[in-house]
Amino acid sequence: MSILTAEQKQIQAEAAAFVAKEVIPFAAQYDKTGEFHPYLLDAARESRIFAMAVPKEFGGLGYDALTQAVVLEAWGYGCAGMGTTLAASVLSMDSVLVAGTEAQKKAFFEPMVRGEIGSFGLTEPSAGSDAGNGKSTAVKVGDEYILNGSKCWITNGGYSSVFVIYALTDPSAGMKGISAFIVEKGTPGFTVGTVDHKLGIRSSNTVELLFKDVHIPAANLLGKEGEGMKIAMKTLDMARPAIASLSLGLAQRALDESVKHLQQLYPDKAQPGQTLQFKLADMKIEIEAARQLLYHAMSLRDAGLPYSAESAMTKTFSSDIAMKITTQAVQLMGSFGYTTGLAKLMRDAKIMQIYEGTNQIQRLVISRAVLAPARPAVAVQKGGN
Amino acid sequence: MSILLTEEQELIGQSAREFAKEYLDPIAAELDHTGTFPAAIVKQLAAQDFLGLFLEGAYGGAEAGYVSLVEVVENLSRSSAAVASILVNHSLAAYAIQRWGDAAQKQAFLPALASGGTLGGFAVFEHGPTPGVGPDALIATRHAAGWALKGTKAYVRNAGAADVYVVLACTDPAAGAKAQAAFIVSAKAIGLTVGPLADTMGLKGCPVADLVFDDVVVADSALLGGPADGPIITAETLALASVAEAAQTVGIGQAAVEHAAAYSKTRVQFGRPIATLQAIQTLLAETATDCHLARLGLRCAAKLMDEGQPFMVEAAMVKQFLARNGSKLLIDTVQVEGGFGYSEFMPLPRLFRDIAGTTLLEAPADYPEKTIAAALLA
Amino acid sequence: MPKLLVCYKWVLNEQDIKIRPDDLSLDTTRAKGKISDFDRNAIEEASLIVEQQGGTVDALSYGTPAVKQSVKDVLSRGPNRLLWVGDPSAEEADACVIANVLAAAVRKHGPYDLILCGEGSSDMFYQQIPARLAALLDLPCLTFVQKMTLEGSVLTAQRKLGDCTEQVSVTGPAVVSVLSEINKPRIPSLKQVLGAAKKPSEEIALASLGLGADDLAPRAVRKSPKGFLMNRKNVVYKESDAAANVARLVASLAAEGLR
Repeated sequence: MSILTAEQKQIQAEAAAFVAKEVIPFAAQYDKTGEFHPYLLDAARESRIFAMAVPKEFGGLGYDALTQAVVLEAWGYGCAGMGTTLAASVLSMDSVLVAGTEAQKKAFFEPMVRGEIGSFGLTEPSAGSDAGNGKSTAVKVGDEYILNGSKCWITNGGYSSVFVIYALTDPSAGMKGISAFIVEKGTPGFTVGTVDHKLGIRSSNTVELLFKDVHIPAANLLGKEGEGMKIAMKTLDMARPAIASLSLGLAQRALDESVKHLQQLYPDKAQPGQTLQFKLADMKIEIEAARQLLYHAMSLRDAGLPYSAESAMTKTFSSDIAMKITTQAVQLMGSFGYTTGLAKLMRDAKIMQIYEGTNQIQRLVISRAVLAPARPAVAVQKGGN
Repeated sequence: MSILLTEEQELIGQSAREFAKEYLDPIAAELDHTGTFPAAIVKQLAAQDFLGLFLEGAYGGAEAGYVSLVEVVENLSRSSAAVASILVNHSLAAYAIQRWGDAAQKQAFLPALASGGTLGGFAVFEHGPTPGVGPDALIATRHAAGWALKGTKAYVRNAGAADVYVVLACTDPAAGAKAQAAFIVSAKAIGLTVGPLADTMGLKGCPVADLVFDDVVVADSALLGGPADGPIITAETLALASVAEAAQTVGIGQAAVEHAAAYSKTRVQFGRPIATLQAIQTLLAETATDCHLARLGLRCAAKLMDEGQPFMVEAAMVKQFLARNGSKLLIDTVQVEGGFGYSEFMPLPRLFRDIAGTTLLEAPADYPEKTIAAALLA
Repeated sequence: MPKLLVCYKWVLNEQDIKIRPDDLSLDTTRAKGKISDFDRNAIEEASLIVEQQGGTVDALSYGTPAVKQSVKDVLSRGPNRLLWVGDPSAEEADACVIANVLAAAVRKHGPYDLILCGEGSSDMFYQQIPARLAALLDLPCLTFVQKMTLEGSVLTAQRKLGDCTEQVSVTGPAVVSVLSEINKPRIPSLKQVLGAAKKPSEEIALASLGLGADDLAPRAVRKSPKGFLMNRKNVVYKESDAAANVARLVASLAAEGLR
């Protein structure tokens, strides 16, 4: 018995098939060269998977949260780098989903339905965990905003058609002076800077974005001036579980590859000794727990219930166990693990604990929920019982 | 640390630290990029007497003992764990020959191993989980001229760079793992080829490859120890490896915690250096603690070796502790540095990739537990 | 075959010293000792000379009892013998006192063909000891030496002065103080470290040097050392006109005396 509906299982199978055909065979190669290759977008175009979160009325697949999670797990299983490409694109359009007008949604979603991708531009050198500390500015002049500044570690930046960029419309108001804008590739003054060479998720394109007197139409403002951080936080709530999904895929892959290798090593025995068996059992427990926590968080979101704390918990738990499991897989498979694809899984897993809000930030969110004023205790009747 | 080190050991550690700063810091990143065996550096290791560190003076060794070895390995590892790997694996061959070699073998090999004229390697593992068992197992059969070796040894460190290998081979396939002997084999032996270099996640610069033996004939004099001594030679030499590799792990962890601590003092978020945040302090404190305790554990095992005491259980304990906590030293320090810690323009990613290579458990991956349990339950 | 003496100081490693931010006092509790930087060069130079032409090197130091920690470190770097005076008086000693003690030790254990010192110590950097020592021993003194050769009893040296160099030669015993560019001290090998314990070292009791109370009384009294923290000025020029910002920066730098 599964929490997934028949339709979700079907979508899961399709995603797994796509990944087996178009992602897994190429993952090692692009990890080695550290390049993003647009072939992925060509291969995915027909399925419109990059528009999985775009509502049906805009031509997208309109997948609910749980379905998206299931797809992302399959991509994380195949290659966390390519999975990041998909997750980050969804992240960018989530901002538009949260705060966009119908016209803005149409403008942003159309490229995605065509198979193009987007980027979410919040992070700056001075604004990592301190996300509201960015220095980029957007000055209103007539019916335009003029954008100046830079962003760093922006996923897909070198290949996206559309961007959501956060900048200060009112520097004196600090965090409350940040606004969100839709920016299109090719706008004069908007360029892509250095490409980051990373420890893992190397097939994901991670770049600097540079803005020098970039004129954007006032109509590209998402929501109202000063609402930027609110939009960003809502977006990240929605998007955090994507990282949980990728992590889950990574962890599952590490376990599966380990089991495959062990079955080759010990063809005549059912399993290796208990020490190793129990380590595998622990991995399985953690993966299953992560999966249920993720599905629960997504079910809450799909039911329209509050899920902010669960979102933080699933991101944290999944990424932490993925790091643990991929590390253990390398180590238990010895030199085989150190010299093959298992090593890539370990490198890929590390970023899951860092991006889209470090697990320390997540713990702040969670501890606030834990320490929130307690509900009044139920009165205990005298005499016991 | 001076309560546990002699003055000489402290000075030796100091020399190694200075050596690492001067010769390894400038090339560590480049070595990781190219993976080219650093022959010039190995010559410099020899000039400092590091290659014959624990070998007897009669053979040109420094007789500095095993605590000195781990002091040197840790300090080199703070700068380049790859270079330390070359030294560690060379030391395994040197150890085995000094410990079990007869007078002729010691005279033939130890002076050059001490002087750096010869680089050593130690080949034990195979692609199958049990050496001596399986289609590619290295089998030694009796030959008119001595022994003929046929089969493959897997993932041998220093492969291709070493001049001499101490190799474990099975002398009786019927008895499998129980009938193992060790042989000293020259890299130039006819029929011995080195497989393609493995693509290691880290420790690049220390070559790893298979050794393929195609009827390599060695004389009787190549047998190290007795014909059934393979298991004890392997167990004890791998115990030394556990201790020396633990020193690598601790060295890498130490470098990481220092870098992350320095970074956290300058990285300002929320209007203050992140070093002032308890979240960061906790990550650094836990890393420093694990590093410190592991260092004491491995030093204890090394001291037992210096005193000629049994040390294999203590070595297994250190191996097991770091199998569980070694990579965490870098998982948590990269975490402190966040996005910067994930960028290969910074040093921590290399340390992350290196440290994982120092805590590997080759199949069947349960030998630390077995060793410790056997001692407890005897 | 020359008989050389090298004088060195055992100092606290400045990298281990922390400055307390509230009163700028120094926290030296975690500071380890080290051979003063330029003295390392002096030791190395002496060692190089005897490696090339034979002879012996004595190393000499006057410090607090902590100087005992330096014995093996110094002996692992080439000297054949180490003489040390370890006395609490060294804590307050000024350059006069230090020179008096060293000169007395030289009279006891010398004569030496050449006495080498570092140009100044890493901690106090008086730069007085070589000259005072030479005066007390009635020897010529060559300072700021960046290159030197010893042939028989002729010492030829190149001194670095401001914006020129000077070639000097001296016949017979002399005191020389060296700069760091004279050589690159080699890192002691393991055998050298382990061999240090086998070399002779001798503690010289201060009382045995025949110095009077006047010779040992410091006249320059050090009060308390304070740390120096460089505070950033934190001035930001951020008018929208870049040219105006540059002009203001240049003007402020000129006002501070930069041209």
